[in-house]
Amino acid sequence: MRLRAGLILLAPYVLLLAAFFVAPLALMLAISVSRQSFGQMDERAASAQGTLTFHHYARFFSDGFYLGVLWDTLVLGIVVTVVALLLGYPLAYHLARTRSRWKPLLIVCILSPLLVGIVIRCYGWMILLADRGLINATLVERGWIAKPLPLMYNTFGVAIALVHVFLPFMILSLTGVLKRIDPALLEASQTLGASRMRALLEVTLPLSLPGILAGSLLTFSLAISSFVVPILLGGFKVQVLPMIVYEQVLSVFDWPFGAANAFVLLVISVVLIAVYIKVTERALRGIV
Amino acid sequence: MILRAAVALVYAFLLIPMVIVVLAAFNAGNYFTFPPQGFSLKWFANFFNRREFMQALWLSTELAFWTALASTVIGTAAAVALVRGRFRGRDLLNAFVTSPLLLPQILTGVALLQFYTLLTMQATYGALLIGHVVVTTPYVIRTVTATLTHFDRALEEAAQSLGAHPVRAFFEVTLGVIKPGVVAGAIFAFAISFDNFTLSLFLTSSRLTPLPIELFAYLKYSFDPTAAAVSAFAIGVALVLVVGIARFMGLEEFTGF
Repeated sequence: MRLRAGLILLAPYVLLLAAFFVAPLALMLAISVSRQSFGQMDERAASAQGTLTFHHYARFFSDGFYLGVLWDTLVLGIVVTVVALLLGYPLAYHLARTRSRWKPLLIVCILSPLLVGIVIRCYGWMILLADRGLINATLVERGWIAKPLPLMYNTFGVAIALVHVFLPFMILSLTGVLKRIDPALLEASQTLGASRMRALLEVTLPLSLPGILAGSLLTFSLAISSFVVPILLGGFKVQVLPMIVYEQVLSVFDWPFGAANAFVLLVISVVLIAVYIKVTERALRGIV
Repeated sequence: MILRAAVALVYAFLLIPMVIVVLAAFNAGNYFTFPPQGFSLKWFANFFNRREFMQALWLSTELAFWTALASTVIGTAAAVALVRGRFRGRDLLNAFVTSPLLLPQILTGVALLQFYTLLTMQATYGALLIGHVVVTTPYVIRTVTATLTHFDRALEEAAQSLGAHPVRAFFEVTLGVIKPGVVAGAIFAFAISFDNFTLSLFLTSSRLTPLPIELFAYLKYSFDPTAAAVSAFAIGVALVLVVGIARFMGLEEFTGF
């Protein structure tokens, strides 16, 4: 294909991205270091001198509350990622190998949660985990417990729903890599006397490391930036960084501070994404 | 044996919230208990009788349609250029065009909200549509790229040597062969837009509310199963779309394995 034709075909989306993706992100960065206020009036910032300020970042990094939230966010992300990996690996291993005629149905089971909105999935967990929800109501009715178990409006509920929401991404990343491992390698190791367990640990597991890394990066990056799940299942009792961004931008209207928070999240995400792209360059080619 | 049991449990975990929502939608009681308290369609009736839900459903459908159409056209064009083009910096460009998919949507949402406010086009239909096209197009690029890479260039060259103009050869030969990827991409873009919550939350107002936003607002104040009926309806839509993708492209090809 000639260069000119290629440019014409690429132009619409590249221009759209430049105008409505890159420019807005650049504006967000500018707002985060600006004394001008863009949302509601911020007298404190407006009265100060000069145009550039790192005040909003300093406020974030010097306040124990915000640092605590950042720490909690990262810990929650790690917990969710590890649990998703432990649940997702057996499933991906099975899916990559199965010759069952039900395979399309299995893929539907993994894909359909992806296509069902996040609010709906949270709602499903709320019906299950609420104080008068299915689990507690059943247990109380049978007289097995006196008081409802605290399953929701805490970190536990948030973590369960986050694992559920992002597990399909982990599974898709893992299956992509596991599928490409030549079964002859496993057979060879077993012919040489390795047990199935040993073959799994010493052949399959090391060969699937790119998938583990890619799936974990993706899951972690998505988990630390979710705020719908913490709002609905944490009931504002579990604070995470994206919730601070959401509150600052849509409730408090402190846009520069909200933008600074968002930019902290953005830097973390971009680093993770860069590693992810590096890892997946040759290892994977799927929808995620 | 242990592996199979573990795998079955994980599948159950994946499906359980959706199954519960659907059961609750058809359950007669105000609270979902086990065993269910009888079959009822009253929550669906309530959903279809509420004007705000109907308006939201219509808005979401229309928005998803235009989003799918726009992202399919520009995404297919971009995918063709990225697969066929031989130019430097192609990998970088590839990473660039898929970045809206990888960047957390809350960041795209906040950035677009501030940008649109500056341009005084915040919470307009066009602004919301553009936002959706930005985040759905990478999915189209992925699916079209997947089908294009197996495409035999010789077919197109044959058409051209028989005298077809390159543009005509593309529309009559190439497009026919990559159609599965294009259609699957369009369906996926529709689904992503129809269910989008995170981006929409930042780009909507009380007069412009797609269905997921309306559902979220409803859930904040009430817990009655009308929300379950709305959700069950959306789950039904998602299932129809998955079947559509399966028929046009095949799920193994679509997921890349």
